[in-house]
Amino acid sequence: MDERELIARICAGDGAAERALYDAHVDRIYRLVYRLAGDDDLAREFTQDTFVRAFERLRGFRGEAKLSTWLHAIATSVTLNGLRKVKRLRLREADLDDAATLSGAGRRAEPDLKRRLAEAIDALADGYRTVFVMHDVEGYTHEEIGATLGIESGTSKAQLSRARAKLRDALSDFAGEWAS
Amino acid sequence: MNDDRFDELLRQAAQDYHRPPATPRDELWARIAAARAGRRRTIARSPVLRWGVGIAAVLALGIAIGRWSAPGSPEASRVPAPSDRASTFVYQLAAAQYLARTEALLTGFRSETHAGAPMTQLSAQARDLLCTTRLMLDSPAAQDVRLKSLLEDLELVLAQVAQLTPRGDREDVRLINQGLEQRSVLLRLRTTSPAGSGSARTQGAL
Repeated sequence: MDERELIARICAGDGAAERALYDAHVDRIYRLVYRLAGDDDLAREFTQDTFVRAFERLRGFRGEAKLSTWLHAIATSVTLNGLRKVKRLRLREADLDDAATLSGAGRRAEPDLKRRLAEAIDALADGYRTVFVMHDVEGYTHEEIGATLGIESGTSKAQLSRARAKLRDALSDFAGEWAS
Repeated sequence: MNDDRFDELLRQAAQDYHRPPATPRDELWARIAAARAGRRRTIARSPVLRWGVGIAAVLALGIAIGRWSAPGSPEASRVPAPSDRASTFVYQLAAAQYLARTEALLTGFRSETHAGAPMTQLSAQARDLLCTTRLMLDSPAAQDVRLKSLLEDLELVLAQVAQLTPRGDREDVRLINQGLEQRSVLLRLRTTSPAGSGSARTQGAL
């Protein structure tokens, strides 16, 4: 069944077609959302929101992009907006509790390199982090990233290059260890 | 070591960054189905909203006929489009209903947490309202700055309540109550909602 037929069947109320769309895309969506959120509860919530919104808006899907790109665009938007809100909430809670910091608190037991790398990735600006995770961690092409985030593929390449440069700086003291 | 080699090692090491577990497909599907069913129930069970939509449609039709049959005048161009006014009316109705339900939930939350009652039902209601909150944030209702700010605070509070365990972790409950007080959420809810009880408010609006 091609995408157009699948969408037509979903719009006609075919539950099996809804499940087929979900099955075809949920793994990649959940993986990406989890990589960006870093928390199982949030990843489940954002994935759920992504599909709820997608099913609600499917009638408005005009087929200008691939269905997978459209779904990924919803997923990244839901996730990045959701993470901003969670961050605001945590900062507020941290203010109330007069806590020192929240980031990296759960990583103290991890090996130093892994922890430092994770912290360095966390510290990247949203745009750099999203492109780095999509390209270097999840293997999306620059064309896919560009279509998902609504940017040119050249911008995606430039952001990846800057993200890697920042990570190289942050982890420069590991260069010797990696070289050996 | 050159940059390419470093980048390659970086890529390998980054595979462990937030490594996802296997997709909980069936559980996620069940959650999605429940959220969508909850949304449909909310709409279907709300006779006021159904009436509101019907009346708004009639109003929009009446205004459209009036504009079509009236002679053209410069005043006409300054009047907002009928569909805009009708949809604003519908969103106001939906917002009044939603705010009344949220106020009831949060008032119940405060009294039940003080009594140490189980959180199961409140969490389920909060999940339902959370979905509505996000729809409201995406709707023209959120063009009102005061309402948008309130909706954003409610989204955070409802997300916290929705994630409570059945027994409600004391620290989580304390933080939620603290957040409610610090941001004067209940007071803002009451001042934003029209006066009167939930259904009476929207009946009054009609």
